[in-house]
Amino acid sequence: MKLLLISKLARSSRAINTITQYSRVAGELGHKIAVFGEKQLDFPELQFSLDVPAFDIAIFIVYMPSDFPDLPYLASLLDGMPKSRRVIIDCSGRYNETIRVEHDFNHLEKMDGHQGWEWIEAFQSVADRILQPTLTPRRDDVGSFLFHGYDPEGVVHPVASAAEATQHWSRSKKYGVAYVGNNWQRWTQVQRFLGAIGPIHQKLGPIALVGSDWKRRPDWAVQMGIKGADVDPEFLQQLDVETGDAIPFTELPGFLSNVRFSPIFQRPLFNELGLVTNRMFETFIANTIPLVMVPESLAESIYGSAVRPLLPTNDIGSWLRDMIRNPELYWEAILTVRQHLTVHHSYRQRLTELIAVLGR
Amino acid sequence: MHTPVNILFVMERRVNAGSIQALANYIQLGKKIGHTLAVYGNPDPQLSEIYFSNEVHLFDYVVFIFESKLHWVSGLQLAHLLTIVPRSRRVILDADGMYNPVIALDGYDRNHASERDRQRWVSSYEALADRIVQPTLWPCQSRVQSLLFYGYDSRGRAVQTSWHAKRVDIMHVGHNWWRWREVSERLLPAIERIRGAFGDICFVGLWWDAPPVWAAAIGQDAAFSVNSQRLRELGIRVLPAVPYRDVISTMSKARINIMTQRPLFRRLGLVTSKYFEIFSADTLPLIMIEPEHAERIYGPSGRDLVLHDDIASKLVDVLERPKKYHEVVQAVRRHLTTHHSYERRLHELIEMLDGHQPAVKAG
Repeated sequence: MKLLLISKLARSSRAINTITQYSRVAGELGHKIAVFGEKQLDFPELQFSLDVPAFDIAIFIVYMPSDFPDLPYLASLLDGMPKSRRVIIDCSGRYNETIRVEHDFNHLEKMDGHQGWEWIEAFQSVADRILQPTLTPRRDDVGSFLFHGYDPEGVVHPVASAAEATQHWSRSKKYGVAYVGNNWQRWTQVQRFLGAIGPIHQKLGPIALVGSDWKRRPDWAVQMGIKGADVDPEFLQQLDVETGDAIPFTELPGFLSNVRFSPIFQRPLFNELGLVTNRMFETFIANTIPLVMVPESLAESIYGSAVRPLLPTNDIGSWLRDMIRNPELYWEAILTVRQHLTVHHSYRQRLTELIAVLGR
Repeated sequence: MHTPVNILFVMERRVNAGSIQALANYIQLGKKIGHTLAVYGNPDPQLSEIYFSNEVHLFDYVVFIFESKLHWVSGLQLAHLLTIVPRSRRVILDADGMYNPVIALDGYDRNHASERDRQRWVSSYEALADRIVQPTLWPCQSRVQSLLFYGYDSRGRAVQTSWHAKRVDIMHVGHNWWRWREVSERLLPAIERIRGAFGDICFVGLWWDAPPVWAAAIGQDAAFSVNSQRLRELGIRVLPAVPYRDVISTMSKARINIMTQRPLFRRLGLVTSKYFEIFSADTLPLIMIEPEHAERIYGPSGRDLVLHDDIASKLVDVLERPKKYHEVVQAVRRHLTTHHSYERRLHELIEMLDGHQPAVKAG
């Protein structure tokens, strides 16, 4: 099958890793994937095409309004591909009633100029099929398709046993704890987590937050009164937290492999809707202990029951101390989760599922 | 009895610039005679007179109005519009003459910064719609139709007040966008020579005090070039822009209003709302366009209102013999009522949409 993906690409956010993985496995499975648009030199991993009629299906990967291409491309795309052969993957739950969770939301007019009904109406007019990366879509007219996946061949240090993994992991690392992700709707969780590890942060090693807007609340958020990019620089300073700019997706596994503990945070909205992200899978290929800070039911539904030791307890400090004392137990869990992900969530598996969905 | 036609305009919302005044007229008139005309989108408290609609499926045609920006419509909205409205029912009004070769005038005004930029506009238009219209009597491209679009609202004329009661002698309403060269090289030297004969002179609009901070970032320093010191030295007051609904009443505060137009528009013969608004105001309009073009739009009397060769003498003559010029203005207004009313313009628009050549005549 020939699939044309439509997405605004960025090297350090949204679905770039997922799109690259699909491109990689498509050839192996006898399919063809290209990103709609002119060749972008920043993305040598990807094929690009403007030849709409040459493709069977157009897949819109939507996070924000600008994921729909500019003129003239959008017009030629929509006029060249009938609605019945267009699909939307709604990565952030836009195709739902308006939902507020803490400061998080799926629609906010002052943020992007669109009310909730506009998202609904636009999605309904653009495509016959709408998929969301959740096991539990709320609307009857949405299909479940997890979209993101796991790359077993991308594991940074493949190991045969938990003991071997522990040995690798126990070598010197630059950071004790690091979170890679932009400061968007995550501060409440990050603050709570950092507060909990505060008493043992010297023991853990350096802490880092890597991504945009961790240094301070951005001006646009202040001007617009948006709370989703809150941050407390003084609090971070007290814990000697290092903040760094976003890193390209290709550097993420290597970066996390130089980190002892890597929390996986998701936006409150995503946790509420059960939406998965690339980070839920990608963190497991790094030589790091993932701290799975997503709701237990979502975690178990994706990772299997073996993930339990990697889910936080009420006493985060004690939990991490135990990991330091007895890492092999946790690496047992990680390796079991990796097996589960390989079987159930590999990109080969995911693309096969997508082709099956599209063929229906 | 005519068949009702429903037309949806998709345009960038600007309360003090562009085509919004024309839209207000079209909407009001359509309502009166049984057509539905609306602007796409949610109601906007700043534009309370404008009827907005999101119910794209209720409209027979969608007219995209492009001015100086190409990417003002959100991808989400555009995706919705393009799916619901087939290409055959989409039309582009190319208000700023972007669907043309690159035109650069004296190394100053231009429609495109580069051939690449032009390509982007042309391919966008061609991808979007089969039909492109321009508000000029002589489009340069064979596939572009002429549709003047902007018109004269005789019922919207300001109440006449005493010439002597007006506190402002000369007013210029318009933004400083590609206008400084003409203003500084032709108008200001003339004013300088006869400054003592006039009282208050005002420039109303954006960027006469300073260029916007973002001008350089978008590569448009030249478009906003200004010497505000020179204006101050000539005792010319600069006042902020007014919303479209206040343009006519603002102009009516002055005895004389001067209309300038950017060189590109003059070259392409593009008309704007201002061409007609200035004749709805209670003022003596003087227009800085080519006399031939003035005659084509305003009729033979239009030539008498052109500031062309000896601008200073003309200004003094108008001040000294207002009665004569009021009669000229009345003749132009009669011409505009006959040839450029919004009733006529709406008829031309509907004819064009229905597939006929618009019956635009210069009169």
